[in-house]
Amino acid sequence: MSAGRQAEEQLRQPPPGEVSGQSGPSRRRLLTVAGLFGAGAVAGGLTGYFTASQDEPAAAGAGTQTVPFYGAHQAGIITPAQDRLAFGALNVASTAARTDLRDLLREWTGAAARMASGRLVGEDSVPEAPPVDTGEALGSAVGRLTITIGYGPSLFDQRFGLAARKPSALADLPPLPNENLDADYTGGDLCIQACSDDPLVAFHAVRNLARIGMGVVEHDWMELGFGRTSATSAAQATPRNLLGFKDGTRNIKAEQTDLLNQHVWVGRETDQPWLRGGSYLVTRKIRMFVENWDRDYLRDQENVIGRAKVSGAPLSGGSEFSPPDFTAGGADGQPAIPADAHIRLASPEHNGGTRILRRGYSFTDGIDPQAGTLLGGLFFIAFMKDPAQFVQLQRSLAGDALNEYIHHTGSAVFACPPGLRPGQHWGDTLFA
Amino acid sequence: MSSEGKRRGCRGAVVAAAAALALVASGCSSTGTSTGSGGSAGTAADSGKSSTVKIDLTARGCEPKPAKIPAGPVDFNVTNSGAGAVSEAELRTADLGKILGEQENLTPGLSGGFSLTLQPGTYKVSCPGASQPHWTFTVTGKATGPSWPSNPQLAAAVQGYAGYVKQNTAGLVSHTQAFCQAIDAGNLNQAKMLYPQARVYYERIEPVAEVWGSLDTQIDGRWENPVTVASRFIGFHKLEQLMWQDKTLAGAPKLCAGLVTNEQQLLTLVSNAQYNPLEMASGATDLVNEAATGKISGEEERYSNTDLPVFAANMEAAMKVVSLLQPYLQHQDPGALVLIKQRNDAVTSQLAHFKASPGYDGTGYVDYSTVTQAERRQLSAAVNALAEALSKLSAQVSA
Repeated sequence: MSAGRQAEEQLRQPPPGEVSGQSGPSRRRLLTVAGLFGAGAVAGGLTGYFTASQDEPAAAGAGTQTVPFYGAHQAGIITPAQDRLAFGALNVASTAARTDLRDLLREWTGAAARMASGRLVGEDSVPEAPPVDTGEALGSAVGRLTITIGYGPSLFDQRFGLAARKPSALADLPPLPNENLDADYTGGDLCIQACSDDPLVAFHAVRNLARIGMGVVEHDWMELGFGRTSATSAAQATPRNLLGFKDGTRNIKAEQTDLLNQHVWVGRETDQPWLRGGSYLVTRKIRMFVENWDRDYLRDQENVIGRAKVSGAPLSGGSEFSPPDFTAGGADGQPAIPADAHIRLASPEHNGGTRILRRGYSFTDGIDPQAGTLLGGLFFIAFMKDPAQFVQLQRSLAGDALNEYIHHTGSAVFACPPGLRPGQHWGDTLFA
Repeated sequence: MSSEGKRRGCRGAVVAAAAALALVASGCSSTGTSTGSGGSAGTAADSGKSSTVKIDLTARGCEPKPAKIPAGPVDFNVTNSGAGAVSEAELRTADLGKILGEQENLTPGLSGGFSLTLQPGTYKVSCPGASQPHWTFTVTGKATGPSWPSNPQLAAAVQGYAGYVKQNTAGLVSHTQAFCQAIDAGNLNQAKMLYPQARVYYERIEPVAEVWGSLDTQIDGRWENPVTVASRFIGFHKLEQLMWQDKTLAGAPKLCAGLVTNEQQLLTLVSNAQYNPLEMASGATDLVNEAATGKISGEEERYSNTDLPVFAANMEAAMKVVSLLQPYLQHQDPGALVLIKQRNDAVTSQLAHFKASPGYDGTGYVDYSTVTQAERRQLSAAVNALAEALSKLSAQVSA
């Protein structure tokens, strides 16, 4: 079957919520999945980038769930963190006008909604035209794809008449400790965060949105994350980062509605009503000097982090989820969790209660051409009510023992608008 | 290098603070406010039988009850039943120079505490703002310590290391003073020649100096660490920036004088410091790691490109540790010594390609910016291989 025919098959699938007896997933299978995962944020239904045969066993099972695109908040923030990330930062072309940008955001909304429900971005009707969808995700399971967008501070300059719509909290981050930023991985007018359990599906989403925007937007930079480093739901196991330690044990979880309202969702405090229900996304590209880290002896590694490596338990005792006791003394007369341990300095206890929702991914850009060592580490992403939360935490980390092994090399901040109802489009309220 | 915020003093350090005679561990503050009662009682329970000391903050002071306890884990329970002017209790070394544990922000009605394991000696309980702010606190009994001091080879290695560090810190001070004289005389060219000569002394003692994090930052901090704030960018690298990038000595004499003051303070601390074999070995790896990251990339001496002499100083100091530990390792792990020697030879022969006489700014080496990417990568591979071999030593010497 040709790619075009496959795409047609694909496009015959019904939108989520409707059940067709012809080419959609069987009702029986939908019910099974609903029974397994329930309704709500985890799984919206069973679709996926099915190929011709719906009955192949390989097409069923893990990876075929979708996450609802529409909702009060954008998906991809408190959605249980998917395994893979594609993150694109884009700039609006110098030739683009306000209306071009507004139209693009509308077009993106439709394309993103289609992709999130497991459909290609468009149908090929003319064989003499380039394919509407780039096609590489055909046959891949949708893997809970979420597509989340954000607006950078520079979008609100004089170019598009948006200056009056700029939230006062949205600004480039001030200089912060232990950073040496590469302009090639810093800033951006817009961002697209695509997460999926399938790396190709996440990549496909960013690629196709950038392609749709060609002439209006251009890529500033892009990063791929190959493994999640945060749990954002109590139902998820805590993953490990490239240091080999569990990361995000004390993260805010999707189930903690009060904490989300307190620390993550923008509320009535904003001066820009269009942003209420949204969140700020801060991303930092953090290079880890993994070769040096790997040479450090185990006890020192644990002292740097403040947790046991294997169990993830805080050094003050207990198990992974035991609250760290920062006042506990160790056998040698020093605090059990050292004064410069990462988890101490990053803790809400050390920061007047400040918290953020972390949603980062391990990344690699290959090998440093100069040193022959790994160019990789943590592509940090966090969501918060105000970027000042991140600034406070990062300043607290000035004396972090971990700084010997890491360096921040990229940085960006974006205001992510709230979620949409069907029929609404990104940018509607911003440009209203 | 710049510590990038590294502060090993607070986690089982190379060095223990010297001020308190019998204090083996260096002290780091352990803070935490408890809004409930009970503080952190029992947190040191796993280290043996713990003592409890009660401290009530009053306008008069902070008398510890009891004022004398046996060595071991101890919980300090601090309450403030109504002293408006006093809100903090600290346990300090007898000379008040170092805070070992503290409970801050205890306003009237609040209680809290901290836990420590204490060696025998005399300490002070301090409460700023009280009419008597310092109270004597005594810990009795026998000091418990590690077993390595009873091994003559390890003990000799540690003693030799203490001498090496002290000697190089003294050299740092005298060479920086000479550097400052050239600055004071307005002789930019001579100052540029003397800068790397002073730097190499620091690069030999770096893992030790990093124990005192803030001092390390003041002496050796780069722009980006730890705070990226201009007013705190005041050490060697600020002077480097002035001389090479801004091509001026304006403001340099004052900065240089401050640098010497900080170095003299470091010398005092280093002279009284205690060392142990584990952190000696680990420090050797850190030195080579540092060369592998900061120097290979050229970040360390980014304005002057005098990376090669400080790179060599890192290697030299790492191998000094190996030679001090050699008598012990010869029996313990002769194979590791052979491997380290081979890999160090490989680094030395790489480095030899870049030697020059008199060299760039009299350093004996070429300008690092002329070293090609391919050459840097070869050097990096050799350095990483050496660091990997060195990293195996810490387990061998941690008896």
